[in-house]
Amino acid sequence: MATGNYGTIRPADVSVDDVEIWYSFTPSRELISDVELKSLDPAEVLIPANDPNNNSEILGGLYTLKLPTSVFGTKGYYSIIIRPKQIRTTIDNCGVLIDNQDVKGIAFDINSITQDLQSRFENGNLVGYRVEYLKEVTGTDQNKIQNLFRIITSNNRALSMPQAQGNSNASVAYTFNDNATSVFCTLTPSSAPSIKPNAVPFIGNPGQQVIITNTFFNPVMVEIEMVEYDDETLAYALYSNQTKSLEDGIYTIYNFGNQIYKQYNLYEVKDQFSGKPLYEVREEKFTIDPTKDFDGITNF
Amino acid sequence: MEYIRKKRSLENYTIRSIPKDVLVSDSEGKTVIDETNPKYFYGKIPNYKVDDNGNYILAPSGQKILNTIDVDLFLTQKVDDMGIFTNKGFTERITPLNIEPQGFNSFEYGRLPGAPASFYYHNDVVVTGNTDDGYLNQVRSYRLDSNNNPIYVPFLNTSDDTTNVFNGVISDDSEKTVYKIGADPIEVLEYQQGTITEIKSGTEFTTYKNKFVRTKDEYGKNLSYFKTDFKNNNGGWDSNNVSLNAIFKKEEYLGIVFPPEVESVVFINRGVADIFERHSLLSELKTTNDIDTNRGGFIGS
Repeated sequence: MATGNYGTIRPADVSVDDVEIWYSFTPSRELISDVELKSLDPAEVLIPANDPNNNSEILGGLYTLKLPTSVFGTKGYYSIIIRPKQIRTTIDNCGVLIDNQDVKGIAFDINSITQDLQSRFENGNLVGYRVEYLKEVTGTDQNKIQNLFRIITSNNRALSMPQAQGNSNASVAYTFNDNATSVFCTLTPSSAPSIKPNAVPFIGNPGQQVIITNTFFNPVMVEIEMVEYDDETLAYALYSNQTKSLEDGIYTIYNFGNQIYKQYNLYEVKDQFSGKPLYEVREEKFTIDPTKDFDGITNF
Repeated sequence: MEYIRKKRSLENYTIRSIPKDVLVSDSEGKTVIDETNPKYFYGKIPNYKVDDNGNYILAPSGQKILNTIDVDLFLTQKVDDMGIFTNKGFTERITPLNIEPQGFNSFEYGRLPGAPASFYYHNDVVVTGNTDDGYLNQVRSYRLDSNNNPIYVPFLNTSDDTTNVFNGVISDDSEKTVYKIGADPIEVLEYQQGTITEIKSGTEFTTYKNKFVRTKDEYGKNLSYFKTDFKNNNGGWDSNNVSLNAIFKKEEYLGIVFPPEVESVVFINRGVADIFERHSLLSELKTTNDIDTNRGGFIGS
């Protein structure tokens, strides 16, 4: 038995406000057209389970995807991506802390963030968020700088200040000030290795577009295959009640609730001259004959 | 990213009931289905939940209930320790908050802009229990009464550091002796003068003179002592022990959970024999382990 160990994976209790959901649909695996992703509102389709002993407390981990049949009611493959919410914004400036010139960071203007997301930029709330960068020149190429990201390690409201006299550091200096509208974020990695002191890792440029993403849960992709038949429906054909109307040749298969599941016309194809039977046919009947209700037939 | 595959049968959501309301007679008198009837859903997957009679099922609010395909998921978060942060002073908001936000929890909110330190104050937490009368000897005076029992003098400080620490009796009567260990002498003086009604600092012991406890220690040896209760008031959080700082991350401390301790193992062997060098080296050895570890194992090798 191990002692002193602790787990590093926990059930997520993320708010649905911090989640994004995308889905795509393809009727078969062989489709060659491009995948078209559409968004779903997490507040409508992702329901967290509550602790049964404390109803106002989220249980953690367990979430139910409630997919509307109006969208997901077609036979085929639905790929659903559930990922942390992304915030797109612009780096206001880059600089250092005024009394810690080796601590570099990037600054955001809280007022440039939409009102509903501003609370995430308050002191300490961005810790653990991931920053990804967009190219500064737009074009036909990929706009996102691939395979490059930084993690925010702290954030505080801060005011840009002139460097102290005699300080040759050209970077903008910041001092923590709760009255400021800009937020100074430290990131990792942002320090130069000791063997190459000038190789300071890239953390962004002023005016550069970035994507900020929370790390409150690990993203998942769910592929849901919508099918017409499963073990249960096959069991209808094998084990459920059935009737064969001798008068009109209607063959009815019922589900386990004795509701009409399928109806077929049974008939023979005969040679028109000799009358010799050629085929016995079972043909699916799409207009249901309601008089073949099982309870009505057997209630005598 | 985790990849999860699920399969759902659409038959589970397909309506198979045929309400009597949708049945009509055709021109030949045969019973058929009126497919234009709004209650006819046979073979369809409706957008809203319907019952066997073709009626929409309504929520208590009177609204139709969306028909959904439910899939349960288990979301997880991989966590890692970022290590210690560094404190730094900050300029507080010019117009601080007067009232705590509803449900304010200092542990959840961290440093809320505009929140004064008073939002983080916490009431006293009092710890109580019982123990033996071992501390009573520390607070007795040197005098003895006619029965050769020690005399307990209220407010006589018996600690070694009377300027900073009060160890002594608060009250003594025929039933019990109440005394403090580790109290603040100024607070005790204020209590003695009647300025305050309670001494919160230190641990308060109450030893009862007529109540004995008989028990056994962990080795089975009989023990007996006067029943003694103790009470410790940690004082809670207030202006004396709470201050607000901004915290930021120095990258060299990433993943480090305590401040680094520098231990030098560098030793320069000059290659010149010094008659005192061997003695100097040995003088640094305090334990046998030092033979292996001193100066990076120099002596051991």
